[in-house]
Amino acid sequence: MHIPDAFMPIPQGIFYWVVALVFISLSLRWVRQEMDETKVPLVAVLAAGIFAIQAFNLPVTMGTSGHLVGGALAAIVLGSPYAAVFILSLVLIVQGVIFGDGGITTMGANILNMGVIGGFVGFYSYKGLMAATRNLNLSAFAAAWFACLVPALVTAVEMWIAGTFPLDLGLAGMGLYHAAIGVIEGGITVVALHLIASVRPDIVNVTKGVTV
Amino acid sequence: MIEDLFFIEKHAYRQSPVHRLDARVKIVAAFTAIIAIVVVPYSPVVYQAGVVLLLFFAVLWGLSGLSPRIYVHRMALILPLWGTIILFQIFLKNPYSPEFHPVFTVLPGIYIYAESVGFALILLTKFVVSVSFILLLSSTTRMQDLLEGASRMGLPPEFSLMLGMMVRYLFVFGYMFRKIQHSLATRCFDPFDHRLPYRYRLREIGYTIGTFFVRSYEQGERTYTAMLCRGYGRHSHVFVAEKPLARRDWAFLAVGLAIPIAAAAVFSLPR
Repeated sequence: MHIPDAFMPIPQGIFYWVVALVFISLSLRWVRQEMDETKVPLVAVLAAGIFAIQAFNLPVTMGTSGHLVGGALAAIVLGSPYAAVFILSLVLIVQGVIFGDGGITTMGANILNMGVIGGFVGFYSYKGLMAATRNLNLSAFAAAWFACLVPALVTAVEMWIAGTFPLDLGLAGMGLYHAAIGVIEGGITVVALHLIASVRPDIVNVTKGVTV
Repeated sequence: MIEDLFFIEKHAYRQSPVHRLDARVKIVAAFTAIIAIVVVPYSPVVYQAGVVLLLFFAVLWGLSGLSPRIYVHRMALILPLWGTIILFQIFLKNPYSPEFHPVFTVLPGIYIYAESVGFALILLTKFVVSVSFILLLSSTTRMQDLLEGASRMGLPPEFSLMLGMMVRYLFVFGYMFRKIQHSLATRCFDPFDHRLPYRYRLREIGYTIGTFFVRSYEQGERTYTAMLCRGYGRHSHVFVAEKPLARRDWAFLAVGLAIPIAAAAVFSLPR
């Protein structure tokens, strides 16, 4: 899902960067206001943890494997979609600049897809499903699944706009692959949420957010 | 990916004329080269611009004293996924060519087009050039120097602080990840072992990740408390002393800007 530099013309890269910067600044404001500015280090260290969490792989099907992106988990545990924007922005900057995974001119698009869209879709689908069903497992699973699938579909659309991949094949390929990977994302998110809630119930507040 | 962290940083600690350059000029040169190759339109002129930039990269990599095997190893970690998507392009039509001529019929209705092969090569050139300069930057610049360089270039202090802490703790969690991997292996647990029930494997990885999350969070709490004890407060910022560029940095900056800009200008402007 990390679009590299080669796959997008520069004007589109700039556009996505501008949109991403708006959300990065909003997430910074969330950190200052909601989490108390002095507790920023806590979230920064957590971002490093999420980066490491992405290294745990599980097989999906036909030789493919998937791992947790972590946006939905962070948004649900910390109680805000901006948590995902903030944490995944840091993760994607390190991935892009140190590891060459993703690009520099396309980093805005990647932050927009995985951080902003993934975070917002994950958080609000979780909230909506919780309100409708009161079922934590179902809500967290579906939220994490959507948070994996929707950014993948948006990535396919962006690459179609860029002219580097056809829309029908992109939607089908990215959609099917990430629908399968989303099962991993959903399953792991549910299990991890249960563990966090049983070990540190004070940090998980599914309705109000983190109580730090 | 985190497994490669130590490998990358180990090479960044070596000594060479490229390693000794100020991080700021390396960041500017690498980003300029990437922007230059991205700016060149999706047309065959990309090959010429790509050759110029790859020659520039090869000279710098040679001067850095790093083995070509390191480059190949790091590129091999990134290339497979996007290499497959690039390869797939040969079967597809794209908006950058008005017409497509089949040169080979794979199956009825599936063709390899001459123009699409060209487009795939263009994408591959752009991809290799842009990734190469990132590999050069991160293989010759320590993460802390990258951060200080970015701070001196105007990265907001809040972001410097956060990225600095994240980078520092990446290594802590890298070690933690290794230990957990060893522990899982000691218990003969392999998430890819098909003899184990899938639900069991999912639950084990889920618990491991949940534990990792809690440990990261608690590390964050301890770090925050430790920082408070050392006078950290609302208005604390990372202090990065001013550092003038040396003559060799200015010289490299001039070359690092001139070559990519010239390549982009010469090959992308309409003639």
